[in-house]
Amino acid sequence: MTSSRAEVDLQRRLELVHMTVFCQSFSPCGKYLAAGNNYGQIAVFSLSAALSSAAEEEDQKSVITFTAHDGPVYSLVSTDRQLISAGNGDVKAWNWSEITKKGCKEAWSRKPPFRANLELPEINCLLLNQKDNTLLTAGGDAVVHVMDMETGAFTQAFQGHMDYIHCLALRDQYNECLSGSEDGTVRLWDLRTGQEAQVIDVYRHQECARPQYGKWIGCLATESEWMVCGGGPALTLWHLRSVTPTTVFPLQDCQQQVMFYQDLILSAGNNPTINHCQISGGVKAQIPCTAPSVYSLAINEQSQENMVFQLETHISSR
Amino acid sequence: PREAVDAEVNSNTAQAMGAVTDDEVIRKRLLIDGDGAGDDRRINLLVKTFFKWCNSGSHEEGYSQYERMLGILAQCEFSMGKTLLVYDMNLREMENYEKIYKETESNIMAAHEKIAECKKQIQQAKRIRKNRQEYDALARVIQTHPDRHETLKQLEALGKELQHLSRIKESVEDKLELRRKQFHVLLSTIRELQQTLENDEKLSEADDVQETRMDTQ
Repeated sequence: MTSSRAEVDLQRRLELVHMTVFCQSFSPCGKYLAAGNNYGQIAVFSLSAALSSAAEEEDQKSVITFTAHDGPVYSLVSTDRQLISAGNGDVKAWNWSEITKKGCKEAWSRKPPFRANLELPEINCLLLNQKDNTLLTAGGDAVVHVMDMETGAFTQAFQGHMDYIHCLALRDQYNECLSGSEDGTVRLWDLRTGQEAQVIDVYRHQECARPQYGKWIGCLATESEWMVCGGGPALTLWHLRSVTPTTVFPLQDCQQQVMFYQDLILSAGNNPTINHCQISGGVKAQIPCTAPSVYSLAINEQSQENMVFQLETHISSR
Repeated sequence: PREAVDAEVNSNTAQAMGAVTDDEVIRKRLLIDGDGAGDDRRINLLVKTFFKWCNSGSHEEGYSQYERMLGILAQCEFSMGKTLLVYDMNLREMENYEKIYKETESNIMAAHEKIAECKKQIQQAKRIRKNRQEYDALARVIQTHPDRHETLKQLEALGKELQHLSRIKESVEDKLELRRKQFHVLLSTIRELQQTLENDEKLSEADDVQETRMDTQ
């Protein structure tokens, strides 16, 4: 009896050691956090319980954990009523109102129109375009698919990348979306015409190229005229009008997540730190964190306490 | 005192039915002078002295009782005056505290507003800083390119040189043309002279042949 319990314990501990959390998303009310890991599970945590001053061990565990996909869950995004998750080839939506109850069933599940393949390519990144009410997905097949949220039909497909796509970003003002891929380029797509507006060969530029790490673009973020991207090449701030790299940030590791926040650029990557960088190029602060490598950063704007979360193996907050 | 409070609760419920109970009286007396020493005793003493004075026989005794009564009355008046002053003081103290309370309230509100204002200013300052940094970043890139005036000057100088050189080229070509024409003239004159000389030779040969033919005939 005890040996089987010990076995279960051991198995659970092994699972925890090998578990990687890839993505996270806050609920629209700001009170819950959903996280997806490499076992295909989505765990929902109650923020108010876990982070209150009277929190105990129990409150920090997940409110509910359910298996969402067969493969790893690579990307999570929230609309005002649903949580959308993507894994190996399929996109599923779950209602936030039902998610905290047991036995949650998906609201809908769709598959982007991949070309006939033996394997289903993984979907690395989901992006919501609030203006058109569409969902953009990108992943292993090197194509950005656009799905209309109302009808569920896949309306556009942007082809052009040579290798799989890591990340997506949206430029609302110009109705464009950017995609960064393993092939080392950042491409800008015009959402109305579906044409490739521009190609930026990041790895060709001397200032930021780091051939020892490769040319892959792991993370992208844009804000009006500016874009910051990193990965194999160093984290660089680009001015999009003139397509010139203006500032190269002195960070040693490969950055896997980046975002603009107020007047700072927050980034995280292979090191267990979150870097606060200024646009002028200085690294203002490097906040250490428990996870050895950070895959996801998110800011909870809905709640009173603004918190930046980062995830990899463990869940912790700063 | 605790009993007074409990008594008050009971009396309140009784009063609701319209009756004033003994408790009410006890409560009032306890509140006024619970300890039994002081004013209550003095009033009792006054009443007793009054009766003694009324029942006194002799004039001196009555007078002494009368004096004592006056003394007690004075004491009572004095105590009453003190209590009135204390009451006034309490009222004024209350007013003072009310004023301070209102002031503190308004200070708190003002501080809240200032905090909100400062927060807005911080956001504004952050935006300004961001814009400045973006400007700096672009300016740095622009600085790496050479100055426009310099380049324009260089372009002008190069243009002038080009013009100068092309003028030289033109003049050289003209000279070349001229020489070519002169050579052409020279050569054609030479050829003409050659022709004339050949013609003359031919003519002179023909003359010689005619002469020898005429000689032989």
